[in-house]
Amino acid sequence: MNQDWPVTELDPVRRMRVLAAATPGVAYAEKLIPAPFSAVWETASDLEHELPRMVTDLRSFEITSVRGERMTGHARGRLGQRARFDVVLRPGWCVMQSRFLIGGMAAVPEGEGTRFAFLGGLRLPGIRLLDPVLRPAIRPLARRPISRLEHRLQAR
Amino acid sequence: MAPMTAPPEIDPALVRAAQRGDRMAVADLLDALAPYVGRVCGPIALQDGPDAAQEALIVIFRNLGGLREPGAIYGWARAIAVREAVRVARRTARAIPAELADVPAPGDPQLAADIRDVLARLTPEHRAVLVLRDLEGLDEQAAGALLAVPAATVRSRLSRARRSFRKAWSG
Repeated sequence: MNQDWPVTELDPVRRMRVLAAATPGVAYAEKLIPAPFSAVWETASDLEHELPRMVTDLRSFEITSVRGERMTGHARGRLGQRARFDVVLRPGWCVMQSRFLIGGMAAVPEGEGTRFAFLGGLRLPGIRLLDPVLRPAIRPLARRPISRLEHRLQAR
Repeated sequence: MAPMTAPPEIDPALVRAAQRGDRMAVADLLDALAPYVGRVCGPIALQDGPDAAQEALIVIFRNLGGLREPGAIYGWARAIAVREAVRVARRTARAIPAELADVPAPGDPQLAADIRDVLARLTPEHRAVLVLRDLEGLDEQAAGALLAVPAATVRSRLSRARRSFRKAWSG
């Protein structure tokens, strides 16, 4: 007799759905990408090279310190704006936050492909009040980085 | 059935940072709470466990600002997780009335009588009582308060659920 109680594990994409649902003012999207997890995550997690390709408002992203899965990064925008980001990066999961911005990516194998999730948004006081209007309006902002990642994977 | 081992302690400062809107703290708190919520939702929602745990955690994090005492976070999260697990399990209409005569015998290769098989023959409400009493160690009053039913109902559900386990064990 198996006396182990059933336990539910929440995969990274489901965790990102929780983070998205609980964070006002963020754009969130997910897509099944027809490429293996290893290829998708190898590309997506190469933040210094790939993040500026996915998020075209970024001119550069530089990792400045690494402590295990925690990192610090410096971002420069197209208009010259700068921001320091705290980052947590591990297989299938990445969350980053600056004073005014939040971002996240998650991935899990699904069939022969990979379910990939992207989250991005502003951290502003009072944004919770705008959330019902803002969320549907900004959803495409999360779809575009996923499309760019897909094109990048196809080009490789 | 042995009670669940105590979950790791959560730093009250992490909870407060998450309540203030620090999303890195929210992500860390999510890492800390997800295994516990999964252990509560799993035996109640069974195959719907991932949906139940996801929905419970959404409710937990949307309402985190209302938690006054960070030290009470596990008890608070448990109440939400149990309610969401019962709701999700009911919604998918997979609840089977607890007719226990057909509980399979141990060793039956077609229907191995493991905990999952026995749980699957109970309603979500019966499974919730089992989780609260036998895994979480709550008394009948506390379990009844959490499930919004009288302690006597907890007692009868528990008795029925335990009978099903005894039958499965004794074959």
